[in-house]
This record gives sequence, C-alpha cells and structure tokens, in this order.
Amino acid sequence: MRTTEILRLAQPSARRFAPGALLGLLSALCAVGLLATSAYLITRAAEMPPILYLNMAIVGVRAFALGRAGFRYADRLASHDAAFRTLATLRVGIYERLVPIAPDGLAGTRRGDLLTRLTADVDELQNLPLRVVQPLLISGAVAATSVATVWILLPSAGIALLVALVLAALVGTAANSLIAARSERSIAPLRGAFADEVLDTVVNLDVLTAFDATAERLAAVERADARLTRAVLSSAAGTGVATGILSLLAGAASVAGLLVGIPALGSSGLDGPVLAIIALVPIAVFEVMSSVPLALSALRQVRSSAERIGSAVPEIVPPEIPLDRPGAGSNTVDASNAVIELRDVSASWPQESSPAIRGIDLTVSPGDRILVTGSSGSGKTTLAHVLVRFLEFEGSYRLGGVDVRSLPLAEVRRTIGLSEQIPYLFDESIRQNLLFARDDASDDDLIAVLERVGLTEWVEQRGGLDARVGERGVLVSGGQSQRIALARALLADFPVLVLDEPTANVDPGRADALLRDLLSASADPDGRRAVVIISHLPVPAELITGRLHLG
Amino acid sequence: MKPLDPRLLGYARAARAFLMAGALIGLAQTACIVLFAWFLSQVIVRAIDGQSLSELMPMIAALAGVVVARAALLWIAEVTSTRGAARVKSQLRSRVLAAITQLGPGWMAERNATSVATVTGPGLDALDTYFSRYLPQLILTAIATPIVVLVIFLEDWPSALGVVLTLPIIPVFMILIGWATQTVQKKQWRLLNTLSTSFLDVVGGLATLTLFGRAARQAERIRSVTEQYRVQTMKVLRVSFLSGFVLELVSSLAVAVVAVSVGLRLIDGSLGLSVGLFVLLLAPEAFLPLRQVGTQFHAAADGVAAADDVFEILDAASAEQAETMVESAPDRPSAGTLVLTGFGAAYGERPVIGPIDAEFSTGSFTAITGPSGVGKSTLVAALLGFVGHTGVVTLGGRTIEAGVTGRDWISWCGQRPGLLAGSVFENVALGSRAPDRALAARALGVAAADEIELDRMLGVAGAGLSGGQAQRVSIARAVYRALERHSAVLVLDEPSSALDELSESRLIDGLRRLSESRTLTLIVVTHREAVARAADSILSLEPAAMAA
Repeated sequence: MRTTEILRLAQPSARRFAPGALLGLLSALCAVGLLATSAYLITRAAEMPPILYLNMAIVGVRAFALGRAGFRYADRLASHDAAFRTLATLRVGIYERLVPIAPDGLAGTRRGDLLTRLTADVDELQNLPLRVVQPLLISGAVAATSVATVWILLPSAGIALLVALVLAALVGTAANSLIAARSERSIAPLRGAFADEVLDTVVNLDVLTAFDATAERLAAVERADARLTRAVLSSAAGTGVATGILSLLAGAASVAGLLVGIPALGSSGLDGPVLAIIALVPIAVFEVMSSVPLALSALRQVRSSAERIGSAVPEIVPPEIPLDRPGAGSNTVDASNAVIELRDVSASWPQESSPAIRGIDLTVSPGDRILVTGSSGSGKTTLAHVLVRFLEFEGSYRLGGVDVRSLPLAEVRRTIGLSEQIPYLFDESIRQNLLFARDDASDDDLIAVLERVGLTEWVEQRGGLDARVGERGVLVSGGQSQRIALARALLADFPVLVLDEPTANVDPGRADALLRDLLSASADPDGRRAVVIISHLPVPAELITGRLHLG
Repeated sequence: MKPLDPRLLGYARAARAFLMAGALIGLAQTACIVLFAWFLSQVIVRAIDGQSLSELMPMIAALAGVVVARAALLWIAEVTSTRGAARVKSQLRSRVLAAITQLGPGWMAERNATSVATVTGPGLDALDTYFSRYLPQLILTAIATPIVVLVIFLEDWPSALGVVLTLPIIPVFMILIGWATQTVQKKQWRLLNTLSTSFLDVVGGLATLTLFGRAARQAERIRSVTEQYRVQTMKVLRVSFLSGFVLELVSSLAVAVVAVSVGLRLIDGSLGLSVGLFVLLLAPEAFLPLRQVGTQFHAAADGVAAADDVFEILDAASAEQAETMVESAPDRPSAGTLVLTGFGAAYGERPVIGPIDAEFSTGSFTAITGPSGVGKSTLVAALLGFVGHTGVVTLGGRTIEAGVTGRDWISWCGQRPGLLAGSVFENVALGSRAPDRALAARALGVAAADEIELDRMLGVAGAGLSGGQAQRVSIARAVYRALERHSAVLVLDEPSSALDELSESRLIDGLRRLSESRTLTLIVVTHREAVARAADSILSLEPAAMAA
C-alpha cells in the first residue's frame, strides 16, 4: 500500500474537517485579538479620553475573552469527533486490504510487529488531522492575519513581524529536521522491535523460566529499551532547539517592533496605543505558532507509521495468491455434484523459488473419502491451500466440471471447507467460536455438533457455551481445539471437507473414534459429502475410499 | 486522578531527580517571565513619555538578554523532561518485567499474554505525555503562579485581588470535572485495551474467517466496534474537555477584567501607565502554566490509568514472596529415583489432576498416556513448579521444593516449541552459561534434527522452520540442557505430535540411546503408540484420577 494512500485514508474529508478547523481558527484569532485590544485599551486610557471612546475596546476585550474559550471547546469536540470517525474508515480500509492477501500473502509478517503495526500505527495516524493539518493551517492563517494588521499600522513593523515568522518557520523546521528527523524515523521501528522483545518474553515465559534464561532475556529487553530511549532523547534535543528558537524569535519580533516603532512615534500618525499593539501582538502570534514544531514532529511520526503499514501490506498482490477474476461474479457450483479434478497441478508459496507440490493428479467425487499422506514438507498443507484457493496453481483444477479460475473465490470456499492444522480460536465464548460458521444455528444445534465431536462433557465442565476459550486457546488442549474447529466445519455444512491433520494432537484411542465420527457425520442424508483427510497417522482402511501419497 | 501518584516515586527512583530539576528550571523561568514583562512595559511607557531610542537602548538590550535566557531555559526544560520520562519509563518497565518473571508461567497462564505485553509496551508509553508535558507544567504552575500573583500584588493590589479571586475557581472546577471524568476515563482505558485485542484477534484469525466467508463481515464489526469506541470516548471528552474550557474561560476573563479595571482607573488618573501595562502583561502569565496543565490533563489521565495496570502487576509481585534460587545448595539433589506421593495439581482454584502416586527409577524411560484433557501437561507444569501442587516430590530421597531447589534437576520440552528469534545454536543453548557447539550438535542428533544447521537464523517464534523442524529443535534444546547440567530428569510433552512416522522412529532411537546411559530419567507424555511401545513402562492417567 502506498504511503500517500494511507495518509489519505487518515485525513477526514473536507466537510468533516472544516468545522473543527474553522472553530480553531476563530479561537486563535480571539487570543491575538484579546491581547491587542487590551494593550490598546490601556495605553489609550492613559491618554485620559472620554470613556465613550473606549466602549468599543471594552466590549471587544470581553467578547474576545469569551470567544477564545468557547470556540476552543467546540473546536476540540468537533475535530476529535472527526478524527474518530475517520479511524473507523482507516481501520476498515487497511483491514480490507489485508483480506484478499490473507493468509498466505501475509506470511513472514512478524507477530510483535503486527501488534504495533495494526494498533499503534493506525492509532498514530489519528494525529494527522488533529496534530498536523489543523495546527499548521491555523498557525498560517493567524500569522497572515496578524502580519496584515500590523503592516497596516506600520509597514516596517509588519515587515519585521513577517521576517521573524518566516525565519521561525524556516530555522525552527530546519533545526528540528536536522537533529530529530533521523532518530524520529527510527523511533517507530525501534518501538516495534522493542514490542517484539517484550511479546517474545511474555509469551515464552514458561520456556524461559524452565531454562533459567529469564535473566539473559530481560537483559536483551533492556538493550532494546536502551536503543529506543537513545532515539527518543536525541529527538527531544531537536524539538527543544526548535522550541527555543521560536521563543527567541518571538522576543526578537517584540524587540524589532520597538526598534522601528519608537523612532516613528509621533510621526505618520503612530501614537502610543499603536506602539503597544506592535510590540505585544508578536507575543500572542508566537504563542499560536508554538504548535508548528510539534506539528512537524507529529507529521514525521505519522509518516513513518504510514510507511510501516505500507510495507506490511504489499502493494501488488503476489502472483501466488489468487484473486477474483472480473466476470467470475455469478458462476456457481452445483453442490450436489461438486467433483474436484486436479490434473498435473503445481503450486508455490510467495517468495519461494521452487514449487512446494508438482504434478498432482486427484479426483474427489461426492461421497469419496480420500486420505492424503506424505512426510513433513511434502506439500500436504500446500495441497489443502490450493483446494480452498488460498494459493494459486499451475495445471488444471476443475470443480463441478468448471475451471475453478472462472468461479468466485467465495463460491469455491462455500463448496470446499478446510479445518486448519492449527485452528484459530477467537478470544471469545465457545458459542461465538461456533456461531460465526453458521450464525442462525440454535443452541440445540451447537450442543448437537459439540456432541458429534465429543466435546459435550468438556463444555459442561467449563460452564457451558458462554465460557471463554481463552487467548489462542491457552486453556484448550491441542485435541480440543481441533474438535472445536471440526465442529465449526460441520456447522458450515460444506459439500467437500478438507481436514488438515485432524488427529495431530488427539490420542490414538480416540483418534480412530473421532475419524469414524467425522466420516459418519460427513455422511449427509444422501451420503454425498466428500472428505479429504490429510494425516501422518495411519487411518483404518475401511474408513477411506482412496489414497494420495505425496513426496 | 491524583496529580502525582506516590507509587510512581516509590517504584521509579528516577522520578525524584526529575522533580528536583523541574523545580530549579521552573524558578528560573518565572524570573524570566517577570523581567520580560517589566522591561517591555518600561520601554513602551518611556517611549510614549518621549524618551529617544538611543536613551532606551540599554533597556532594550536587557530585554533582548531576557529573551535569550528564556529561549535557553525552554530548550533545557524540554531535554530534561523527555530524559526524565524515558528514564522513569525504563525503570518501571524493567521492574514490571522482573515482576512478571517472578510471578511466573502459572500466573501468566491465567492471563491474556497479548494484554500483558500491551500493558508493558505501548500501554506504558501513555506515561510519556504525563512526564514530559504534564508534570513539568504542574511544577511550573506551583512555582510561577504564586510568584507572579505576588508581583502583581506589590504593583497594583486591586488587580491582584481580581486574579486571586478567580484563580481558586479553577482548582474547584478541575476537581469537580476530574471526579466526573475519572470513572469514565478508567472505563475508556479498559475499552481501548479490549478494542486493541479484538482488532488483533480479527487480523490473527483472518484465515479462518476467510474460509468461512466471514472476512468481509468483520469489516462491519471493526467499523461498529470503532464507532462504539468513538461514542464512548466522545462521552468522556465532552466532560474532560470542560476542564480545559473552564481554564481558558477563567484566564481569559481575568485578563479582560484586569484590562478593563486598569483602563478605567487610568482614565481617572488613579494609576500610572507603567504599572497598568506591567500588570496587563503579567496577568495572563499567572494563568498560562495552569492552562497548559489543563490541556495535558486528558493525556496525563491516560498515563495514570496505564500506570495503574502496571502497579497492579508490581503489587501482585511484591505480595508474593520473592523466589530465592539457591545456585549451589550443598545438598541439592542431582540424581536418584523420582517419587511422587499424593501428588496433585491445580490451576488457580480449579483442581485439574490428582492425587497420584508414582515412582520413576534412575535411568528409566516412562511414557505417560491418557485421553486428552485428563491433565497430563498440568502434571508436568506442577512438577516444574509453574503451578502449585499437593503432596511430596522426592529425588534420591531428598524433597524437591519449588523455588528453593532450583531447576537444574529437571529439563523440559513443552507442547509448544516456543523458539525465539536468533540462530538455531542460540535456541538450543538457551540458558547455557557456556554455549558448546559440539554438545548442541549432539543434542540435535538425539532429537533427529541433525539436518538442521546450527547457524541457521530463525525469525520471531522460530519463523523459518516447519512445524516438525521447530518441534525437533525444541526437543534438542531440552536434551542440551539435560546433558550440560546433568539433570536427573528429562520431561518431553508430546514430542512427536508434529512428526511423521520416519522422524518419529529416528527420535525414538535417539531417546533410547540417551536412556541407555542409565543416568537420565526419561518421562515422555505421549499419545503415540510407537513412543509408548519404546518406553520401559507406561503410566496411564485415566479420567477417574481427576479430582471430583
């Protein structure tokens, strides 16, 4: 994904963004107006005019005071609301880019990085409208307005203020970039690396403890922490320099106002109140401008987050990952005649030079039960991924007599289900972990399917369907998570079911029973569902109708 | 929210030095504020009175000097505060990680590892704003506001009275709004945490969702969860932004009141312009630090909420007695028969297994079998001391006590490979005091993994190896440790679950060879017939053995 595309997703639409920006601008102008009018009021009052002349200024002072606070409150609500609304679009936008390439196009994405990338980085992008675009726009507008006003009062003072502001923008930005840009760009990756170390330590705590390796591991975490801290500190020196320079120029603008204002006093209509305005307005303008260096830092951090999201999501889908063909939209498979025919099929994984399987011939007819065997690394899982179209292939693959490439991917996956080798269990209740396979299933349906895979007792012990299965099935053993996965697949009622190592972690005494259960469960009333079982375990011959050996 | 949690000072010593430095800088900054206002107002008033530019030059130069000093102080303050924030965060992080390792795998097993990692990693980053922005401002406020008010009082007491009367409105409102925000705020952090896990959960389960044609629908769910998050957060923000509103309003109005009252008294001649202008410039400075504290308040509250989670872990760890590992206890058991008497285990309050009685003689090879879910792995966890146990464990007649005996006597390979980023050699020699390549090669041989090169680099979680390869490397890691430390017992939990028949039989050969030395007691939890056949004896755990 391109960085600009991600940044576009993060920036609210003009219509959503405008209210907050306008309110913010009004608030900032009120702040400058408050100081200018107060200064005018006091110096003019010192000339002891009739009070009538000051009424306007008195009203102005009060109005600006109220306006500054009121507009600011409204601005913050409006702009935060807009940013949050955009966050939903952003998350979904990035998620939708992940969907077509998952899972095999995403392989190699490091876990810890995934965590920071997709939560921290996406959240960081929220700062684009809030901390970058809006402050920059407002500062620019306030600076322009103030320069114009002072220019009208005394052109040379206007020039002095303009020069100070331009210098502030240039010098502040340059100092900030020179010192901080490098380290800031490296902060986000270092933060990712650090999160990796922490996650590795926390997740593998049992292994580290059993091997007395926690101390050396903590030392590694501290080293990563120290690298991150160094980067953060050198970035702070940069922001500090920029802040200092801004303050210096703010003071210089006031001093310059005095230097050009004092000689002009008395001539060309310049009186005391105007001198006060010329000397004091820079203070208020620069207070508004102080958000500029912060905005530039925020911009860099936002950019590097966007870049990292971009590198996680390949811009072009690798050729090994199948995509829906235009025009395949409406083709369907006759569920009652879902025959699979593979002829001379080869397939490879993205970024791997040699194919994982080659020259595969396989026919699966309704009612078949095919056992696929082979040593580890012989491509059994690759075959399963080709069948459900996670991976692209060469050769011929027909489903129900139709070239599978002319079918929508979703249609293939409605026809052929896969129970994965490492089933993913969601950090939710047992019910939710089943329901997403068929959301109109009643509790009775769920209990029936749990019975079929032999989990009735287990679910009762946990306290029923509402019990949580725990993160990555922490509280669930390998055998049980396989059974839950099988229950899901049975609920979804696929005409063809691919079981990738269903008995990998089930004890042999139960494995046979489970295989029998599965195969009898797969026998729908007219006995037409086909099952492909991938297994490195021997399977009783009477349970299968055919074999395919790989490797 | 407390402005400053005392636990922060207790758990992070760096916080104290940080506060001291902040106070010194704050004092110098206050001096600059007052001097700047004084010189600026003096120059303007004297110019209006008719003094020429050259007469005023010394005073303008002094003003410029103050400007330079003010800029330098800002830079110093920025660097100091960021440095302080980073130090405090590092200290808290290393303490919390130490606490987690002390609490151990048993504690961890009952928690969501991702959540714990979030709390220690990104969660703690919420403290950044608290330290680098909020606290320095809080210190500056405590110093600058009273001094500025005092100066105004000495110059023009009615203006000081105006400021003094409006100032207390701020803390009163802050406390009221703070109370209102606090509870919602805490809820928002929980919600954020849940949201972060749920987004990751969706991405992690993307393959499964795609298989069931549900991936597209999750987009809607992400949208609705995020929308819910927006609605919740905006509810909090509407209240918490009120504190900022009150601050801005009160400070603006105070400036307006001072300007108008000074103006009116100037008209009737009861006040001089120099005093009036000086007071006008100082009045906003009495409120500015407080206002900036207010703008950081929301972010700081996030930080404090995050710190609360960290303190929870730290408090849990300090409540539990620290594990005292004895490196070389003279009577440390290192060999002999392993005897379990009345041995049972429990995850928290829920009894999972036991009690059982069993005996494993020196050099024996025992297979533990039983239906899945019967508690075989929990038995192993109890033996390792990860979870509590009942009954007595003795080795060669000496009692093994978790936390006292150390773990040299036992080497273990769990069901999950649990490999780390780094080379195969680094993984195999994990925890070794003097990594030995020859021994590592031998261990790989025992584990039927001799085709895997020692120098092969692995990604995080052992990325780059197939499931079967990762399993064999993790077995080699346990074998290496058993050989290096002369462990009495080697426990392997389902060592061949990801292996094909050929690799399995090679692994069995390796284990048999290891067992023939008759010094290492081998306990293998398995459901594979081939492994069970190779064992000297079988310990079968039946569901009947489970606690009622």
